[in-house]
Amino acid sequence: MIEGFRLGVFSRGTTLWDGVDLAFGDGSAWVVLGPASSGKTILLSVLRGERQPDAGDVVVSGESLFRGSRSAARSFRASCGHVPDRFADAPGQTVGDLFRLSALAGGGMKGKELRERQEGLLSMVGLAAAGGWKLATLSTSERVRAALAAELLRGPRFLFCDGVVAGAGNTHREMLAGLFRALAREGNTIILAERQMPERWATAAGEGAPAGPFRVYRIPVPAVSGGGAGAGPGPEDAPDRKEALT
Amino acid sequence: MSGKSLLGIDWRLARGSVLRDSLLRIPLLALAAFALLGLLLSGGANRFLASRYAITAVLRTPVPPGEGEGLARKVADLPPVRSAVYKHPEAAWKEFLLAYPGLDSLRGSGGNPIPGYIEIRLRPERLTAADVARVTSVLRAVGSVEKVLAGEEQLPRLLRVRRFANILSWGVFGAFAALLSLVFLFQERARAVALAPDFAFLAERGIPPGRVAACRAAGAAISVLLLSTLCVLLSGAVLRGILIRYPSLESLIGSPDDLLLLQTLSGLAAFLLCATGIAAASSLLGFRASRK
Repeated sequence: MIEGFRLGVFSRGTTLWDGVDLAFGDGSAWVVLGPASSGKTILLSVLRGERQPDAGDVVVSGESLFRGSRSAARSFRASCGHVPDRFADAPGQTVGDLFRLSALAGGGMKGKELRERQEGLLSMVGLAAAGGWKLATLSTSERVRAALAAELLRGPRFLFCDGVVAGAGNTHREMLAGLFRALAREGNTIILAERQMPERWATAAGEGAPAGPFRVYRIPVPAVSGGGAGAGPGPEDAPDRKEALT
Repeated sequence: MSGKSLLGIDWRLARGSVLRDSLLRIPLLALAAFALLGLLLSGGANRFLASRYAITAVLRTPVPPGEGEGLARKVADLPPVRSAVYKHPEAAWKEFLLAYPGLDSLRGSGGNPIPGYIEIRLRPERLTAADVARVTSVLRAVGSVEKVLAGEEQLPRLLRVRRFANILSWGVFGAFAALLSLVFLFQERARAVALAPDFAFLAERGIPPGRVAACRAAGAAISVLLLSTLCVLLSGAVLRGILIRYPSLESLIGSPDDLLLLQTLSGLAAFLLCATGIAAASSLLGFRASRK
């Protein structure tokens, strides 16, 4: 469980937000909704332990990320996946390079296994055979989905996505909804930061809870019989994860 | 994340760049190893000078050949001496005639006017004013030695020239080694800067930058150690081949067998260690630059 207590961030000489309390339970998918420039990206970096808040603390499974042991914080970060809202791609870097890097961050993976999982994950996000594509040539939607697939390679227990739903575009929203639900069902925690929530998601998520300038929604994850906890999505699970969020 | 999987991080993330850099390093390292081997064997200008410089002990006449040879053996046992060869008066006369043809008439008046002598050559590293003085003083104390010709008036100038030649040759090598270090540094820096987003990616995912830097440095050191060893072996084989094919170069550089002397091997080991250290340091500096 990730909990934020009385979080405050001061930026550009002003208080961005202060006294924000948040709690994200395990095995669930959450959407943090906030207007432009409200500090959603900063909030995600604070929750990931990337940036220390100017006030308050983040606690993961009872251990403070910023005041607790460094090894615990590092171990938490190693179990996180992160899809940013902005990308700085080196010229010539391919989607395959992204997977290689992700595999390296996850402790390395044998070539054949990496290729197989890469193909499976890419086809799951609608980018089959995109391994050799240059990142610079991808559209925003393709880039976001490629980044998401590369993060899923490591099977992160906590997945932070910044503007992924908006970036992926209308045609992929339902696929993402199914994917996030499936990940949550496996015991993972997914936190999405968005400006707007798709109408169908909002209908299912209900009112949401206010937290500072944000509104936090929990996406309902119906239990599926026979679904066990696992390390992350594999390509063979892809069809199950494309259930619509209704 | 295990350290082992990060050891070849550059190879995994920038294979082309690593290959290009290594291809440039091979000729540079081979050239440096070749130059170092040449310098270690020749001692700069030491061997050349030692092959040209000789002390001549002119013996009194008449000295029996046995005594002359015995004296040459005793002189050869002195630590600074590489060789001491007794020349019989008849052999000396033939050498004289070869050098100055047409002077046969000198012998007509009454026997061989050229005395026997001992030609003494010093070890390259022992050709110093002190060692020359030591050998000449020993020779002068021997009753059968009439005169010792050691060019002592010219020796200080000769040794000064040798010192300058040595400084120059080692200086050129040092400058080349510095250039090689700069090449390493620029290569590592350029690659680290290009990989900076990837390092940030790894840091965001809980891999401490210090571990990435240490693993990269270890990887760079191992790769350069292997490359340098290959280049040293290659250079040694080439130099040995050259010395066997052109024996006249032995007086300038040295014998092919000297390649396996402990002194030469120690110098090469130091070269490998230095190259490895420079590669590791360049990698660390490059990583530091990528984080600015």
